[in-house]
Amino acid sequence: MDSLGGSNLSAFASSDPKTAVMRQIQQEAAVQNARMLMEKLNEHCFERCVPKPGSSLSKGEESCFTACMEKYMTAWNVISRQYVARIQKEASTG
Amino acid sequence: MDSPLAGTAAANVDLSKLTDRDKQELQQFVVNESQKARIQQSIHSLTDVCFRKCITSKITSGKLDRYEEPCMQNCVDRFLDANYVVLKELEKMRSSS
Repeated sequence: MDSLGGSNLSAFASSDPKTAVMRQIQQEAAVQNARMLMEKLNEHCFERCVPKPGSSLSKGEESCFTACMEKYMTAWNVISRQYVARIQKEASTG
Repeated sequence: MDSPLAGTAAANVDLSKLTDRDKQELQQFVVNESQKARIQQSIHSLTDVCFRKCITSKITSGKLDRYEEPCMQNCVDRFLDANYVVLKELEKMRSSS
């Protein structure tokens, strides 16, 4: 997934308290982001691929999930780029 | 990915060791990270809405076809345009009451 340009802190000694805090903050943000993505993926792809829940997931439903997940993540990247470009443009024109 | 609990070991960090300059850097870092988190959150909301609007047919491939991708891009721009209209309207209502 596209990164929003987070700094790479692995070069610093982890015993430095300032860096340790920074790393913790970044880590929690990453966890939060991943959790959100998983939640949305589940929601959308279940809605699309399993219209009537049966007693198990069929092979067709499983491959639908794979395609749906890939599609959603591609959409996320497209939207991310468009959004960031737009807010950068608006920030520069004021 | 590291276990989310791995980071909490850093909670035992001795914050009294932080210099004033460290504190200032951390302050700025938190401000930046908060903004990044807000942007990520907006992107999640936008993807949620735009996926529903733009992916209307049955999902067979993992790629966005030549209608879906421009739809996504337009969706972002129109949503932000609409946001602006709402803001302007609310301002108008507030100033006329």
